[in-house]
Amino acid sequence: MYVEMKHINKNFGDYEAAKDINFGVEQGRMVALLGPSGSGKTTILRMIAGLERQDSGDVVIEGKVVNDIAARDRGIGFVFQNYALFRYMTVYENVAFGLRVQKEEKQKIHSRVTELINLVGLEGMEKRYPDQLSGGQRQRVAFARALAPNPQLLLLDEPFAAIDAKVRKELRGWLKEMIAKVGITSIFVTHDQDEAVEVADDIIIINEGRLEQMGSPMEIYKKPKTSFVAQFIGTSAVLDDFSGFKGFEDLPKGKQAIVRPEFVEAFKSDNEKFKSLMHATETGVIKDIAFRGSYQELTLEVNGILLSTNRSLERRPVRVGEQMCVLVYRVYILDETDAEIHKNQLLKGVDIEAL
Amino acid sequence: MKNQESMTMESSKNQKGAGSGEGKLARCLLIGISVLFLLIMLVFPLVEVIYRSLKEGLKMYGDALTAPNTLSALGVTLIAAVIALAVNTFFGLCAAWLITKFDFRGRQLLSTLIDIPFSISPVIAGLAFIMTFGRMGWAKPLIDGVNDLFGTDISLVFSVPGVVLATIFVTFPFVSRELIPVMQAQGSAEEEAAAMMGAKGLTIFRRVTFPHIKWALLYGMILCAARALGEFGAVYAVSKARGKTFTLPLEIDALYMAGSADSITQAFAVSSLLVIMAIIILILKQIVEYRGKREQ
Amino acid sequence: MKTKNRLKKGIALGMSMVLLMGAVTGCGSDKGKDKEESDTVTITNVSYDPTRELYEQYNKIFKDYYKEKTGKMIEITQSHGGSGSQARSVVEGNEADVVTLALAHDITLIEEAGMIEKGWLSEFEGNSSPYTSTITFLVRKGNEKGIKDWDDLVKDGVEIITPDPKSSGGACWNFLAAWYYADKKFGGDEAKIKEFMAKLYKNVLVMDSGARGATTTFVENGEGDVLIAWENEALLSVKEHPDDYEMVTPSISIKAEPSVAIVDENADKNGTQEAAKEYLNYLYSDDAQKLAGQNFYRPSNQKILETFSDTFDLSVDMCTIDDFGGWDQAYKDYFQDDAIFDEIYNQ
Repeated sequence: MYVEMKHINKNFGDYEAAKDINFGVEQGRMVALLGPSGSGKTTILRMIAGLERQDSGDVVIEGKVVNDIAARDRGIGFVFQNYALFRYMTVYENVAFGLRVQKEEKQKIHSRVTELINLVGLEGMEKRYPDQLSGGQRQRVAFARALAPNPQLLLLDEPFAAIDAKVRKELRGWLKEMIAKVGITSIFVTHDQDEAVEVADDIIIINEGRLEQMGSPMEIYKKPKTSFVAQFIGTSAVLDDFSGFKGFEDLPKGKQAIVRPEFVEAFKSDNEKFKSLMHATETGVIKDIAFRGSYQELTLEVNGILLSTNRSLERRPVRVGEQMCVLVYRVYILDETDAEIHKNQLLKGVDIEAL
Repeated sequence: MKNQESMTMESSKNQKGAGSGEGKLARCLLIGISVLFLLIMLVFPLVEVIYRSLKEGLKMYGDALTAPNTLSALGVTLIAAVIALAVNTFFGLCAAWLITKFDFRGRQLLSTLIDIPFSISPVIAGLAFIMTFGRMGWAKPLIDGVNDLFGTDISLVFSVPGVVLATIFVTFPFVSRELIPVMQAQGSAEEEAAAMMGAKGLTIFRRVTFPHIKWALLYGMILCAARALGEFGAVYAVSKARGKTFTLPLEIDALYMAGSADSITQAFAVSSLLVIMAIIILILKQIVEYRGKREQ
Repeated sequence: MKTKNRLKKGIALGMSMVLLMGAVTGCGSDKGKDKEESDTVTITNVSYDPTRELYEQYNKIFKDYYKEKTGKMIEITQSHGGSGSQARSVVEGNEADVVTLALAHDITLIEEAGMIEKGWLSEFEGNSSPYTSTITFLVRKGNEKGIKDWDDLVKDGVEIITPDPKSSGGACWNFLAAWYYADKKFGGDEAKIKEFMAKLYKNVLVMDSGARGATTTFVENGEGDVLIAWENEALLSVKEHPDDYEMVTPSISIKAEPSVAIVDENADKNGTQEAAKEYLNYLYSDDAQKLAGQNFYRPSNQKILETFSDTFDLSVDMCTIDDFGGWDQAYKDYFQDDAIFDEIYNQ
């Protein structure tokens, strides 16, 4: 493990920002700390950096306990949420700052800064000041600046929060590529699941100061360990009793069920593809259609319950009030702490993925 | 149709706002009143001072300015002003830094304490000094002890150190009051970023904080200097020896009190010195404001 | 970056230049303050308000005398203000080697603080009063309001300038002179005397903290119809502005005796006992007495006083402080907190 958090606790007065946090990040990996606002994820990041001090527990970097080492001596690159570029210095001076502090030779500084500025694609902008740059450009300067002094660990605090949606998507891809190129261990904080899923190798879900789950995006998605994780990812419907649905009569009573849009299929009664599964379907009425840019999100009322499903724009158009056949493949069943998959019994033997 | 047209024309005229009709009259009136006020309260008295000082001729003017008492007073004033400026700049920076960058139990209290010199009358400050450091003051044994230790004979009242201390006290808040809002607005993100890259406190201050606060600091220093030069009340209480511990304002008062026609002219001559200093400071202030705005 | 450095350097340079200038000019006239063996002795004379011109001139002739007699140079630092205020400032640390104040009681204050040895009053001639004065009125030329005596001061519409007895010695003498007049007029009827005094103080327009301040208010600032003043102040004003003012001597006045003393605590500490004694003694010399007369102070030396019979009205009916039982008694009766002055003034 390159970075480890061991039994970290931190309170701000009454507010519990971190409760017995334990995790490790391997060298070269890119990990996302994902969670809702106020979950404590930024605090955890700042504790790794040394900008906050934990109440108890150890922060270990490269096998060494760094609790008592000041932030400036931990050799960590940090990209702040609003970049925190030095307003009164040019792009060049910003990037060169860390090296100047280390009192490197002028030649070395120049070559390294040029290297980084080229890396992030800002050639020609060296003499500009931060207020002459766009949001995306500033982010790239912040990135270059953090990397300049050759840190072993890179921390990013909601790096895309202040950027508009379209640029964000581009930058995400760019960041992933850059970090892979440089090969540096990175941890970044975000509240945006899509971002975490797209950029990170591993995701750590934090809620109310507790670590809910750590795993690859696929794991988190398909095998949520806690109810929070199950609910957090995706737009799900949470139901107290799903046993009224066809194929789910054997569900244990009294446990909550989570239905993800991906578990639900809605098709018209004359649909050819799903004809063989008609026996497993319920009837539902479309209550709402929301356009999500590249697909539609349908909200259907089925057996008195509202379920969501995503519908490709390539399919036949539907309208509000139309009756559809609704097939639920599986649900998550929730315990206080665990989530299990329960398949629709009527679909036993059917290979859903192949459809 | 015609009504509609004329109505829209009128409304657009009003919308053009300050350039037309009532708006213009109100603006002219306000400007006129302000200018009149400034002329009567400021410009005319100042012009009168310069006129009266030169009325008896340049030789008298020159003699008044080079008289030993005047030179001594000039010296004391300058010493007090420069020392007060240096001390208050340093401590103002420290206080502003403490208050804006750290969160600690007495923070609000410290901030309020800093403003005390603004709220007390300077005369009271001077009297408080006498009661503390004077011959009957409770700190006198301490001062005697220090004097014995170092073999010195320093007194903190009725002496130049006393004048300097009184000046420091009344001008203390100026620097920190200018700095605190600017530093609060700045936030600590840039400083944290600098720290993450290995910079130590002094480096952070020099390269990250200082450029932010440069103009506010200069402005505060100028206000501090201006106030220090003109201080009367507090210094009056702790300074009684003409030609030794008098500052320019006190010397002017002494000349005026001397009553003879000559000394009155001398009083005006020395006053003109202060007027000139004030004008220089005003010009400096304008330059600083202008440069500061330009850099924003 | 470059402008920032230049700016910083500029400020630093400017400030050090100013500091240097200040030090040079300030210290230039600060010679000989050290107690080390230099040839210059420095003493501080804390005096009352009107004596500025007197001591400016006296200090010059004393310097020459002292140089001749002892071969040493002497520097005298002056301080002026209301007599009471000055006495208090000495007690609070104003390092006077000698005090030359308006009345003995102010010096007693300093004695009671332990700074002056007992028996100071008889250390110098004439109860330590090298010069005396009296109280007169200064009015504007033409005397429109027809002010001839104390009675005229209590008339309606007459605006009086007189200083505050709490800080000014001259103000105390003023008060007592008026009281003495009323006492004679009402045959000792205290109620009527107080009424008279109350009316008088109701007519006071401005109360300065010192006699010179009052003169400035009356002369420079043009306030009031009549100034109750030290005779020396009134004569000085008439000399300066003969076309604008005239002096009126009331029928009854008081012999005002300003006193002088060495402040032993400071003189011993500064090693200036010798010089201080010489300084005060020389006030009684013929040269100094003549100088006092020229400055409108009545010399204590009778013979020299007679030579100034043109200047001073030698026939004024004057009471003395003894008529009030001495200063300690008078202060207690009239000027202490809640004593008669407070009673009258706060009516």
